[in-house]
Amino acid sequence: MSSNRILVVEDEPNIVESLRFILERVNYDVESVSNGLTALEQMRKQAFSAVVLDIMLPGMNGLDVLRTMREDSRLSKLPVIVLTAKGQAQDRKAAEETGANAFITKPYSNAEVVKQVEKFARR
Amino acid sequence: MAQKLTGLKIRARRKELGLTQADLARHAGISAPYLNLIEGNRRPVGAALLKRISAELNVDVAQLDGGAERRLVQALEELAADPRFADPNSTRGNAEDLVGRHPGWSELILGLFRAYEDQRQAVLALADRLNHDPFLGENVHQMLTNATSLSSAAEILAGGSLSEKEQRRFGAIVQSDVARLSATARALLGFFDSAEMRVRSATPSEHVDAFILQENNHFPTLEALAKDYLQAPSRDGFRDVSPMTDAPDDTPETQRFALAKRTARRIGSEAVGEIVHGHSALPSEDSRRLAEAAIYSYLAGAILMPYEPFLEAAERHRYDIDALCRRFGVSYEQAAHRLATLRRPGAEGVQLAFMRSDVSGHVTKRLPLPGLPLPRYTTACSLWAIYSAFQTPGITVRQYGELPSGDRFLFFARAVDKMPARIGYPRKLLSVMMACPANEVGRVVYGDGLDLEKAAVSIGTVCRLCRREDCGYRQEEQLIAGPALSDKRRMSDANHS
Repeated sequence: MSSNRILVVEDEPNIVESLRFILERVNYDVESVSNGLTALEQMRKQAFSAVVLDIMLPGMNGLDVLRTMREDSRLSKLPVIVLTAKGQAQDRKAAEETGANAFITKPYSNAEVVKQVEKFARR
Repeated sequence: MAQKLTGLKIRARRKELGLTQADLARHAGISAPYLNLIEGNRRPVGAALLKRISAELNVDVAQLDGGAERRLVQALEELAADPRFADPNSTRGNAEDLVGRHPGWSELILGLFRAYEDQRQAVLALADRLNHDPFLGENVHQMLTNATSLSSAAEILAGGSLSEKEQRRFGAIVQSDVARLSATARALLGFFDSAEMRVRSATPSEHVDAFILQENNHFPTLEALAKDYLQAPSRDGFRDVSPMTDAPDDTPETQRFALAKRTARRIGSEAVGEIVHGHSALPSEDSRRLAEAAIYSYLAGAILMPYEPFLEAAERHRYDIDALCRRFGVSYEQAAHRLATLRRPGAEGVQLAFMRSDVSGHVTKRLPLPGLPLPRYTTACSLWAIYSAFQTPGITVRQYGELPSGDRFLFFARAVDKMPARIGYPRKLLSVMMACPANEVGRVVYGDGLDLEKAAVSIGTVCRLCRREDCGYRQEEQLIAGPALSDKRRMSDANHS
């Protein structure tokens, strides 16, 4: 499963563009999708070293994506860095209980995102 | 009534022209005393005479025969019958006199009432939105998203070592985010400018509504009381009592519930008093009395459907309300309402919203869920299952709906009879609807066989707050323009694919 590929699941194109830029600069390949179902499809098709996952997605939300991943033996160990505009303790707890490896509150610093990806991604 | 108004109109118009009764009577070919009787509404006026009088007074017959005034009188009577205002008996019968003597003032009163009602509807709709509607949440989320994008792009620009092309690209992102952030801020500013925000619950039933919501529709002391009562060896259980004879037309389930409620009143007065008295949401004696009645019903439900066995049965039957009715000998509505009380921390059932409406759309009970606002003052989206259930009374209808926020819920509803049928009267039906969030659909029998990817129907919350622009079911204009978040995202996906 090891690769340099990161999957960004985010429905805001400008954020995707910035994430792509900062991750490519530290030598990751970035693939992006804007909804949860396509994200799961992509994860089952290709190997990724980590997923950067927004929680507020249209239709299937990020927590549902994460839950599905953790129940799927092929995806259960794939590191997930959760991005969310909801920063309350219960939101963090819900994400951690569902199986997030890291939890980053929006607005974030780019350095923080890179740091968490570097920490968990399996190169 | 028309004749009465006509007399008053003739008098008013004659005085306006400065004519005496004798002058007008002479020109119209009748005696002055007879005209006096007509003007005093003590004699009817025939069509031919009215035509002559109207010609002398230089007005249309239509202006004297009272059609417009009749409508005014009806409107004033309706206003006076509004329970929010004074005792209707104090104004009974006075509307005709008021309209006849002071049509201008009558118009003014109605105009004021209409203006008040419009303002009130706007304030209530906005209050609903503030409390439950995703509008604010959506916009605040949108601002945070733009702020994130802005700060990330600014960081990249500040970091330097960018090619000219990259500088232009991130410069453009900064500009577009600033524009979107400003637009969202302006929309919010407009929203806060457009109405008074502080709306107090006005009626006792609204206080009770707030009280139940504040308590999350779960009362641990009443649950404990019901459990103790059912376990006590000396209880005189309602099951041993014969059906009540004072309501022989009621269904056995209604009779059992009435008996359980009687038991609840006997065993629960102290506990109920403690819950209700001094509760911050119940400021008046009337609201406390109504709240007491509501929670005695709650206790009766807890006696007939004890928490643990009911939760266990609900899970086993996957929330099949008919199965629970058979198991506990209760009605559909009683079982449905009890399901919405399974909110004990650590032993919760499926999260269920509850809403009850009559045929005219009047919401008589509601328990919303996070992300699923249930209207308090107005009717809900006419696409909701709660209304389609009236088309097939007694049969459960289901609907997997997507709100403008993009959140999805499974709705299931049934219209039930509230009283025995009577010849010459319409059936009294109430529609009882429950809803669970998309992630709980697998736990309830009503989701069986649904293809969750294809079954979702676009629905709204209430028309004035709904931002779906192309809805063929719209009854009222939206208060704030702009596409629904879910539609916007769909458009965005289409643009990027």
